[in-house]
Amino acid sequence: MSTSTASRATNRASSAGSGGVSFGGVLRSEWIKFRSLTSTRILLIVTFVATIGIGVLTAWIRFLTIDGLQSAAAEQNRTLTPEMLEQSFPPGAGFDLYNLPNAGLQITILVLGALAVLFISSEYSTGMIRSTMAAVPKRLPAFFAKAIILVVASYLVTLVAGVIIFAMSIPILQGTGLELDWSTDGVIYSVFTGGLYVAGVALIGLSLGTLLRNSAGGITVLVGIFFVLPIAASFLGLVPGDFWKDLPKFIPSEAGGRFLSIGQVDGMLDPWQAGLLFLGYVVVFMVPAVLVLKRRDV
Amino acid sequence: MIEANGLTKVYGSKTAVHGVSFAVQPGQVTGFLGPNGAGKSTTMRMIVGLDRPTAGTVTVNGVPYAKHQDPLHQVGALLDAKAVHTSRSAYNHLMAMAATHRIPKSRVQEVIEMTGLTDVAKKKAGGFSLGMGQRLGIAAALLGDPQTLILDEPVNGLDPEGVLWVRNLVRYQASLGKTVFLSSHLMSEMAQTADHLIVIGRGRIIADAPMQEILSGARQSKVLVRTQHASVLATLLGDSGVKVDQSETETLQVTGVDPRQIAQVALENGLLVYELTPQTTSLEEAYFDLTKDEVEYHSHVSGQPAGPSSGQQPGTDQSIPAAAGK
Repeated sequence: MSTSTASRATNRASSAGSGGVSFGGVLRSEWIKFRSLTSTRILLIVTFVATIGIGVLTAWIRFLTIDGLQSAAAEQNRTLTPEMLEQSFPPGAGFDLYNLPNAGLQITILVLGALAVLFISSEYSTGMIRSTMAAVPKRLPAFFAKAIILVVASYLVTLVAGVIIFAMSIPILQGTGLELDWSTDGVIYSVFTGGLYVAGVALIGLSLGTLLRNSAGGITVLVGIFFVLPIAASFLGLVPGDFWKDLPKFIPSEAGGRFLSIGQVDGMLDPWQAGLLFLGYVVVFMVPAVLVLKRRDV
Repeated sequence: MIEANGLTKVYGSKTAVHGVSFAVQPGQVTGFLGPNGAGKSTTMRMIVGLDRPTAGTVTVNGVPYAKHQDPLHQVGALLDAKAVHTSRSAYNHLMAMAATHRIPKSRVQEVIEMTGLTDVAKKKAGGFSLGMGQRLGIAAALLGDPQTLILDEPVNGLDPEGVLWVRNLVRYQASLGKTVFLSSHLMSEMAQTADHLIVIGRGRIIADAPMQEILSGARQSKVLVRTQHASVLATLLGDSGVKVDQSETETLQVTGVDPRQIAQVALENGLLVYELTPQTTSLEEAYFDLTKDEVEYHSHVSGQPAGPSSGQQPGTDQSIPAAAGK
């Protein structure tokens, strides 16, 4: 149509520019939205501080436990070798010292998961989603831009918190005679994988927010999956039959947690298997969210 | 240019928009008029791809909205003044919208100034009054300097100065050759702003014509006659099949005959006529004529008929003569 071509040509001279939607632009748009909410900044700071606090507190409790064992042994004129101490913490039960960087992750997934739900559900509750989708009518770029921002933000917060926790844990546990430093097996692995788990939870949160379009509902389901399901699953272990005993290790929180550990343990998934299983859960939540977002009226 | 073809939207068991087809032309202001629940907002949401049509198509400049590479430069839409995160400042809201199309920061400042939001731009949008919210919505619509403006009830909540500003704004945009599609249930606003009118009722297009045509075609023109011999003249005119209402002692409302013929009758019978005024139909009357069977929610107030009374009292702010705004 000649008129629209002509009018588009005049548009080029406009102070509004003439660029089209680009994924980089959508990403910047979502980043502006993310950082321009006071609640986001507060939640991020709270998560960061709480994760470090719980992590360091865990290190301190480990120290007190080990110290208690050593004093008890000393009274009986025995000395505990590091090997004996390590054996007193059964592997795979979450007491491994190399896993200290991730000791505060329960609070991290709770708050960042909720933040991820809110990142989109608050757009539905305020009506902002209509502005978003009018500017990005293909819709999915906005979803994936949100996903990238959540993944990067949760990964970085968890990574930095993990490094600080471990850096503070080393001096706390120094007096125990246990070898613990950055070269300890599994430390670097823990530091770099913790953020992946949190990022995965954030993606599940974003998907729940998209599917339910409701903040309270999304957060409730997220808490249900990561905090109530493990309790329910532990009761399943009481039901007779091997099937029920095996089931708990396949739930999302168990799979995600196991992914952060190293080594093979009887009766548990290998870390890489657990990681793949958790990734599968993330995909299972994201695919319907994407399909629904593309089709549904906003 | 907006073109809708057989556009239909069904929500559950309710058909909100029922196979409507229309074209909104550039270079003029097209009004979209209809009672509450007639399907105005649903139609507008379908134009910008927020709602998926159950059937039919709608294009903007020949292409479905979602297929445009630069949607904000094609269409600026104010669909719902509340389409803003309440905890974000107006400035950041506009910056986030602008970022998607790499619209420069200077343009954001420009629309903030244009819409008079400078003083409140850094405040949270949640605290805005209805009028301020409308201004922010209009600022967002103008952000991409779009070829097409779609404004759903833009003057809602605006003060008189704001109403005038919106009117001038849309007329100016139309004069630049842009397509302007404006919905309202305020007929006075439409009468003063729109060149062309699409009237919708219960999801169907009732009228799609230039404003002038809707006004003149709505009902037969009336003539106000003042004479000392009102009843005599009424009888004479009534005998020739003309509808006459006598509202006051010396006043007649004559429908279906032009002033010249009335004067002729009066002259032949030696009756003194001291006023003979042709009455222009107000948009309000035209609108009620068109929509009287299509109103979604009838208000059943006793003694208040849905249409205007036959006695013409152009004193209310909604009865604006057709000449206004032309």
